[in-house]
Amino acid sequence: MLQKVKTLDKDLVDYALDYARSKKVEYAETRAHSTQHDELVIKNGVLDAFVSTIDTGFCVRILANGGLGFASTNKWTKEEAKTVVDTAYKFTTIARRKDKITFAEEKGVETKWSVEQKKKIEDIPPEKKIEELMEVDKTFASQEIKIPGRIMACTINLTEKYFVNSEGSAISSFVPNIETFAFITVAENGKPEQAYKQFGRSGGWEAFDEWKMTEAMLHEAKVLQKLVKEGKVVKPGKMDLVCGTEVTGIASHESCGHPIEADRILGREMSQAGRSFIYPGGPFWIGTRIGNDIVTIVDDPTVKNSHGYYEYDDEGIKARRRYLYKNGIINEFLQNRETAAKLDTRSNGSSRANSYAREAIVRMANTFLLPGDWTEEEVIEDVKHGIYMKSFTEWNIDDRRFNQRYVGREAYLIENGELKHPVARPIIETTTKNWWSSVDAISKEVGFDAATCGKGDPMQGIPVYAGGPVIRLKEVYVK
Amino acid sequence: MSEVLAKTEAIVKKGKALGADEVLAKTVFGRHRQTRFSNNQIDIAVAWNNYVTDVALTWNKRLVATQIRNFQNTDKIMEQLFKLAKVSKENPMYGGIAKGTFNYLKPTADKKLQELEDPAEYVFEAIEAAKKEAGVEVNTGGILYAKYEDVYLASSEGPTGQDARSAIELSIRAFSQIDASGHGVECCSSLRDFKPFRAGEKAGKIARLAKNPKQGEEGKFNVIFDPLFFGSMLGTWGTMASAYSVMIQLSVFVKKLGQKVASDMVTLRDNPAEYSVSNRVFDAEGFPIQENVFIDHGVLKTYLHNTSTAKIFKTKTTGNAGLVQPIPWNIEMDSGDISREELFGEVKRGLYLTNTWYTRFQNYATGDFSTIPRDGIFLIENGEIKQSWKDLRLSDNALRLLSQITGMSKERQHVHWWLEAEPPSLSPYVLAKDIQMTRPK
Repeated sequence: MLQKVKTLDKDLVDYALDYARSKKVEYAETRAHSTQHDELVIKNGVLDAFVSTIDTGFCVRILANGGLGFASTNKWTKEEAKTVVDTAYKFTTIARRKDKITFAEEKGVETKWSVEQKKKIEDIPPEKKIEELMEVDKTFASQEIKIPGRIMACTINLTEKYFVNSEGSAISSFVPNIETFAFITVAENGKPEQAYKQFGRSGGWEAFDEWKMTEAMLHEAKVLQKLVKEGKVVKPGKMDLVCGTEVTGIASHESCGHPIEADRILGREMSQAGRSFIYPGGPFWIGTRIGNDIVTIVDDPTVKNSHGYYEYDDEGIKARRRYLYKNGIINEFLQNRETAAKLDTRSNGSSRANSYAREAIVRMANTFLLPGDWTEEEVIEDVKHGIYMKSFTEWNIDDRRFNQRYVGREAYLIENGELKHPVARPIIETTTKNWWSSVDAISKEVGFDAATCGKGDPMQGIPVYAGGPVIRLKEVYVK
Repeated sequence: MSEVLAKTEAIVKKGKALGADEVLAKTVFGRHRQTRFSNNQIDIAVAWNNYVTDVALTWNKRLVATQIRNFQNTDKIMEQLFKLAKVSKENPMYGGIAKGTFNYLKPTADKKLQELEDPAEYVFEAIEAAKKEAGVEVNTGGILYAKYEDVYLASSEGPTGQDARSAIELSIRAFSQIDASGHGVECCSSLRDFKPFRAGEKAGKIARLAKNPKQGEEGKFNVIFDPLFFGSMLGTWGTMASAYSVMIQLSVFVKKLGQKVASDMVTLRDNPAEYSVSNRVFDAEGFPIQENVFIDHGVLKTYLHNTSTAKIFKTKTTGNAGLVQPIPWNIEMDSGDISREELFGEVKRGLYLTNTWYTRFQNYATGDFSTIPRDGIFLIENGEIKQSWKDLRLSDNALRLLSQITGMSKERQHVHWWLEAEPPSLSPYVLAKDIQMTRPK
């Protein structure tokens, strides 16, 4: 990891804010990020490249003249800071809006927060990082399984931020985050099957001890091998579908987290990430039933060491757990200050940006279904005929977040409460309402999977957890 | 020599002086402007400026890379990078970077895009065009994006040069009802050719035709793909043609060189030409860009290479080097010899799909995938749009789709939007037979 020559220049960030406040602004903020970034790519057993960078820059966002202007730079000079502020201020006049943009009220906050590391990443030499990653690759690839292609990429970000605004906020933060992505192809008799797995968390190098990546990837390779050898297709029809935590997580993310984003509900993302089945004047709104009353899905940035962890969002709002669907009812939208003002409410700290060069927009953090009181065995033992879809491969959802499809990666037939042979790529293609209304059993244990959520233009990939317990969908169509 | 190129060369010299085998440095001064709009009003105007030098360095077949911002702390960063190379691991497959000196085409970037500060008029022009087609109550949203980049490249292996790259793109989505929408894009490398009303007009027209959609039917259909939809697929095949994708099995083209992979009518090429929003005169190694036909009348002719992957595959680079891996720039599909109207006339009963998103694969090696059509989905009968449908998914196979193509229009459009049609492409309207559509139950 490259060492910083100097730390983030807070004086220049303060200077930019002061200069912005000298103009006729309703609101101004300056947000600086400095990220030490390492990326190691191991392709088919060899280290393809080791990329190590430090990216430091700042942005200015100004609300004035009823419009929003944003400008950023990675040039740290007073002259550039003035140029950036002037540009952002000038850009507030471009909109010429009929209805003026406003922000929901907030008080300024002065604080510092950070994520602790048990094993400091800064103390891990590059050769150790390479060695640990290559050991994982070597171990799972040296088994009696034919793996014609594999790639593993490890990304480490140590991000220091400094946020100040015209309401008196001054927030410093530091988040170390590690993420590893692995993709493998297993072939038997010329027939390939593929799997990917993403690991991620905030914290230190102890992540490698917790993930047990070798075992996880070896498990994936064995599942694929067995699938090629023994997998049978399912006879299409209505049956019970038991979903593993990975499948519960993706469904929570896609068909609860995304449609509940207030900017999407208000149409601000309409041409890219799309809208929502929830919209003003539509059949679904806060208070509308969307699922069985045992379904409660939350988004919670405060889960310690999670991939989507933060204490204050990128508008300086304190993070808290949000109850999105509560007892099967649409309960709360994810808000930033702009959407909250439009909907006459308060921000719930959902504004995130993946870089100083990007506007903070409404995002999820860690979205998961809350646990029930069944054991995993009890969820399965009541099923006469069904499928256990433990993990998924292909998935997608329409841009209203209503019509979705998940294809099983590791899946088994269930007969009379017992797991039988592997099932090759079972598919559920259904609606959000049908999915959450069909849940009739929820296990006690919540599992999380790391993911990179995509939204914004330019695309802002942002770390999140998607998770939940094992669930059972009663009498759904599987093909 | 410009001052920036001299500084870029100094980075290369520093790396060599430290003992590196090869050093490559590419400085980009980028000026980006974006205007985002929704509900027929501008939400925010955005500017971001980048001053970045990408540096790749090799030592004993160990490849390491970094970025230097605004030439700050260059010596210190290069020393750290070289130390990193020394503790890194050898890549026995590494085959070097482009060697020699090359003549490049003259960059044709539009200087007007360097000066563009208030592009709101283009947004309003597109919104008004959509309103003309779909009525004043139409709800539109989208982005206008403009960039101008000065690029300076220096390599210890010989290539050196300057490029300037410009682009302007407008993407507009129009909603005539909550479940009836159309999408149009206008993508150009210069302001001269940029006509934002065309995107608005198309979005508005599709939105009008898409009103009162009925639940779509499952089954196999002959499908006409709009360039916006097919551009997304061209991007997928272009990415799969990268030798890097092939090496890690993220491709349907593994071990298929010289084999039939598509209908005879299909010729695909990668070409970051002057008109394209990904226009350039050299790749990341300083190798001159070229037009590469990778599928010729249905036969897979080549993968897309950088110098290193070319060596592994015992061929020559195709000028597709990114910093670490080969990447496609702009995928062109050769046009057909009939008009769009004549192509529609070939469909007795089928579908016209205007756009898609969320393309995901079960298996990249076999090509099984699905994608979700969005915006107008139309039932065609006897060449005419008969009805607007909704809630369908295309669930088929990427190789099979290539083999089912039976016609293309003369007209082609340069398309690019978000990550859904990436890399940019030049696509005709395309007719493919017996494509599987599914729906939620």
